Amino acid sequence: MSRSRSGLVISTGLLAIACCIMWGQLAFGAPTAEAQAGPSATPRVDFERDIQPIFRSSCYQCHGPDRQKAKLRLDSRPLAMQGGKDGKIILPGDADQSELIRRLTETDENMRMPQDREALPAEQIALIRAWIEQGATWPDRLANVNAKLSKHWSFMPVGHPTPPAVSDKSWVRNPIDQFVLAKLESGGLTPAPPASREALIRRVYLDVIGIQPTPAQIDAFLNDSSPNAYEKVVDELLASPHYGERWARHWLDLARYAESEGFKSDETRPYAWRYRDYVIKSLSNDKPYDRFIKEQIAGDELWPTDQDARIATGFIRHYPDESNARNLLQRRQEILNDITDTVGAVLTGLTVECARCHNHKYDDISQADYYKLQAFFANIRAEDAMPLVSKQQLAEYNAKLAIWKEKTKDIREAMAKLEDPPRKAIIKEYVDKYPPEIRAVLASAPERRSPMDWQMYWKASLYLSPDSPQYLAPSSTCAARLKGDAKTKWEELNKQLKQYADLKPTDPPRGMGIIDGSATAPPTFLLRRGVYDSFGPEVQPGFLSAIDDRAPKIEPPAGLNSTGRRTALANWLASPDNPLTARVMVNRIWQHHFGEGIVRTPSDFGVQGDPPTHPKLLDWLASEFVRGGWSMKHIHRLILTSATYQQACVATPSDLRLDPEDRMLARYPRNRLEGEIIRDESLESAGLLNLKMGGPSVFPEIPAGVEGHGWKPSSDEAQRDRRSIYVFVRRNVRYPMFETFDMPDTVQTCARRYNTTTPAQALTLMNDRMTLQWAQSLAGRAIETNPANVESQIDAAYRLALCRHPSQSETKTIEQFLNHEQELIDQREKAGDPISLPPNLPAGFAPARAAAMVDFCHVLLNSNEFVYGS
Amino acid sequence: MLYRPHVNRFASRREFLARAGGGFGALALSYLLSQESAKASPGAVLPTQVAKAKSVIWLFMEGGPSHIDLFDPKPVLQKLAGKPMPRSFGHVLTAMGTSDNTLMASKRTWQRYGKSGIWVSNWYPNIAQHVDKLCVIRSCWADGLNHVGSICQMNTGSILAGRPSMGAWTTYGLGSANDNLPAFVVLTDAGEVTGGAKNWGAGFLPAQYQGSLFRHDGSPITDLKPPASVGPRQQRAKLDLLDQMNHSFDRANVASDSELDARLDSYELAYRMQSAAPEAVDLSQEDAATRELYGMNDKATEKIGTNCLLARRLVERGVRFVELYCGSGVGWDAHTDIEGNHTRNCRASDKPIAGLLTDLQQRGLLDETLVVWGGEFGRTPFNEKGNGRDHNPWGFTMWMAGGGSRAGSVVGSTDDIGLRAVERPCHVHDIHATILALMGIDHLALTYLHNGRRERPTVNGGEVVTEAMA
Repeated sequence: MSRSRSGLVISTGLLAIACCIMWGQLAFGAPTAEAQAGPSATPRVDFERDIQPIFRSSCYQCHGPDRQKAKLRLDSRPLAMQGGKDGKIILPGDADQSELIRRLTETDENMRMPQDREALPAEQIALIRAWIEQGATWPDRLANVNAKLSKHWSFMPVGHPTPPAVSDKSWVRNPIDQFVLAKLESGGLTPAPPASREALIRRVYLDVIGIQPTPAQIDAFLNDSSPNAYEKVVDELLASPHYGERWARHWLDLARYAESEGFKSDETRPYAWRYRDYVIKSLSNDKPYDRFIKEQIAGDELWPTDQDARIATGFIRHYPDESNARNLLQRRQEILNDITDTVGAVLTGLTVECARCHNHKYDDISQADYYKLQAFFANIRAEDAMPLVSKQQLAEYNAKLAIWKEKTKDIREAMAKLEDPPRKAIIKEYVDKYPPEIRAVLASAPERRSPMDWQMYWKASLYLSPDSPQYLAPSSTCAARLKGDAKTKWEELNKQLKQYADLKPTDPPRGMGIIDGSATAPPTFLLRRGVYDSFGPEVQPGFLSAIDDRAPKIEPPAGLNSTGRRTALANWLASPDNPLTARVMVNRIWQHHFGEGIVRTPSDFGVQGDPPTHPKLLDWLASEFVRGGWSMKHIHRLILTSATYQQACVATPSDLRLDPEDRMLARYPRNRLEGEIIRDESLESAGLLNLKMGGPSVFPEIPAGVEGHGWKPSSDEAQRDRRSIYVFVRRNVRYPMFETFDMPDTVQTCARRYNTTTPAQALTLMNDRMTLQWAQSLAGRAIETNPANVESQIDAAYRLALCRHPSQSETKTIEQFLNHEQELIDQREKAGDPISLPPNLPAGFAPARAAAMVDFCHVLLNSNEFVYGS
Repeated sequence: MLYRPHVNRFASRREFLARAGGGFGALALSYLLSQESAKASPGAVLPTQVAKAKSVIWLFMEGGPSHIDLFDPKPVLQKLAGKPMPRSFGHVLTAMGTSDNTLMASKRTWQRYGKSGIWVSNWYPNIAQHVDKLCVIRSCWADGLNHVGSICQMNTGSILAGRPSMGAWTTYGLGSANDNLPAFVVLTDAGEVTGGAKNWGAGFLPAQYQGSLFRHDGSPITDLKPPASVGPRQQRAKLDLLDQMNHSFDRANVASDSELDARLDSYELAYRMQSAAPEAVDLSQEDAATRELYGMNDKATEKIGTNCLLARRLVERGVRFVELYCGSGVGWDAHTDIEGNHTRNCRASDKPIAGLLTDLQQRGLLDETLVVWGGEFGRTPFNEKGNGRDHNPWGFTMWMAGGGSRAGSVVGSTDDIGLRAVERPCHVHDIHATILALMGIDHLALTYLHNGRRERPTVNGGEVVTEAMA
């Protein structure tokens, strides 16, 4: 890459972005160059973005809040400008004479700063030099770190802004519109006209429940002349159980939800799906968001008898895991990192992982903060098959099981005896791979194990405990290793055992989550450079100190063998006073309605993140969210009923020029639907969608050539046409169509999917046997409406796929296409080539004509109008 | 797959600038510009380092070939064989807990070859004839103990899944030189690659940079061919109708939308790919001498020979990165019977790889094609179960040929028994930095803003091994 300073101007008639693409010397070069145009301009250095991060990572340690070596303090403007014991170190406008630059560039290592460390990289020194040359501007807002003013915007308390006044009051439907319109008016833009009612109903259906309206639902809306016809639809949709199915997907992306372990073996997690159903149900019931997140962080401690709250802890458990890991200490650390990073990103909207190896270079998050946050999770253990019944029900179950055990005692003992040699071999083979210190822990007496020993023990017990779904040596596995006589005997005994099957109680429903191992957590250390065994000082659980530096109140919950740590964290996160929680979540809701958030970096509300386009709107929504009892549906309703949401996707040339990216929302932005929703609406148009809700995941067919890989289509064919949210999520084999359409990889949290356009997507929609099958069924439905009238058929197909009637010219175009295609297919038919027909073709309907109809329907399902939600 | 990289809308101008500034290389950037700027000429390229290599063929010996039985002879090991490892070599924690086992001699005979006099064992007699083309790096080391982590690291730089593979970084940086084929192709010869698609995944890069695993039966790419019940003229007519419908939809909407243009293009590209991809994999166009050269007439060498020939055809057509697994599904993992295992694997790969080097050279492609050979780690000097060797990530051999690598040279060394890299250790990140450098990419400058961090291919390490460059 070029190290030279080269500028590049990209401009179009509509869009002019000027930037210094390759201002390579500066580590923070590209964003710095943002404000400048052309190669000759000197980039403007921004203190908050460019300088403070350097001070924070390299200077504060000795010249900050804790220590002021040489009486110098660099985290406050007056003190920094005042200088140290030898006087001023920063002379604005004169970098060469500034002691700061001298000390940074000093060749004598004893004199050079930072002391006992490598010199700052040349590009950082160049930035500091440029900053001083440009006058050492230090914004008032950041003048004093101890003052609240110095904080980054998202760390400040949420305000309660009054919606601003606007000129065109008639456009405003609710306060959201005042915020949006005020900005449009001041920018000289005008809102787009309202969307057509046909477009609006399709948009709101796809957006809220992810299913298109049926022709009858469309007609009912179009014929409803009451002034609140649209509001009624919004209420119906928000009350629909399918709302939870649609919006759960967004949360599952954040939760890195999957139903397998990942890594080499990618073992199935048989009960993970209950978390998916939990999210669907919680959203559909409009569970208050504060409760929703408390359950996911500490449901086991806060509501131990509430099965939903226990399932909710799956949020923490969804980390990918490696059954084959030898170094359990390292593996435990990797899991804790995953959890810390996920909780940080999802709930605080901060990139805390940047502080794993060093203080955050941009945000006010220290490395100690990272491990303090991690310490809340220090004593967790996986619970992969927790029985989801009350204590009493469990006791009843156990009592029945005891009877069965008693009656089958001799048979089972005889079987166990046969299984014993292979079982011992399997266990030994596995245990022997661990290093001696882990083997020693596994062999030690329970009362001698330290909390950290227990951590190692529980990790290994996932594979060594007969109660675990991942137990390595269940009966069947051991029996498979038997040969000859032993095998025959075992099979005979197994037959006998089966005769007692009716005595055996049905296994209780089970779920997957986490609990604390005990009331005493192992110590947490700051890890130097993030290396798992490079221990620094011990840290205690603590919140992000820039937001709240009080020590958490941690009390082990009564009656439970648990630390209570996560309860303290959950309460802090779900507190109305937390400046991030509500802001981050209303932004996510906004993002999924409009394609982009008010903050376009939904899991980075830090300095490097994108500043909000409408900061006051964000705060108004956040305060409204808390005021409304953390009701997500309240926020949905406000957004959906706003005039902003109901705009058409059109723009005047002037608006396009002024706001090409639609950041000010003078039109409704058009967004491609997710792969999951394209599949759902295709199945629905085809009349095939199976709307059954909940339960274990299903396996639709996958393209020819990618079979195997642990993917066997569901034997019950109707199950294959369930909604996409119920499709099994295997980490190592994502459902190919979803993967092609940017489903995240489920290895880490994903707040914003990519939206790519690739030939692979075209190949899937055009050539895959599934899409052809959908087209065949859609064609069948269209023909059925009126086999004698082609115009009705075309109209029906348009209504089913695109939710609107075709124009006259469209109908004409399609008729011509059908005639042309029919001729081609006729020839194929005569030549004996296969053709694709709809199911249940009416008697007397020409097959070539029907196949032409299939082709037309196939094109409809590929069209931009179909794959874009609005 | 990458044809015209199209990521619809950056989150912000800042994101656009940050990514464009640090990341997009020549072609990718020009495509981006052409998308954003009413089809500016794709000739607008940025200066990059002078690159020799245009393509990479990575010969991945999955399972871990034994360096001390192939390229790194150890006379001291022969002497110490049968004894426990002297304490001076330091304790290691191995995958199977074998480090207390006795040292095991290599049963190979060794010879110096070529003008360079580089040692090669009698397991690789054909490749040995090409040593003057090779740069043998004997001091590689990696972090992982297990296959899944180590294969993942050799591909992505990290033992944990989730980062982009080298092929993805390369196509992200350089784009494709052929719009009608995937830019990054993966070929296997046996079982599934351990860890699967994560090894050629795009990680946090957009999905179009991920590798395409070519299938062996039927068409190489999933859903490449139209259904059997749809004829070619019928398909064309459908695409024409689609084009017409999409144009009228686009006209009714916001005019300047590059995203919709990209979608129109994607169908045309897919259509062209339907003929380009089968042509690329059609080996019937190759003459008998070529087939013989690659060992395609011998059952033992046919599979890898076919893949090596395919790899040549792909790079000839502009494919940027071909990853070719030999022994996919940890075929080289000789915990027991290393004699049997490596005899088989070497036999299967020796002639095809030698054939590939010969063919690339005679076609004038070797200068612009970087060939990389290696596994995810090497094997231990101490025995496992008496006649096998355990995983060894502390020291092992890889080699490069062509593409601006230093022909006929040896870089670094391991200790006297081949356990650890001692002289000029080259971590996986260093290997990655070097490969990128040979492609004209500065591994520190190729970045992608992800979760607030400018991620780069070498994570937080990496130093170019200049000794490996011509």
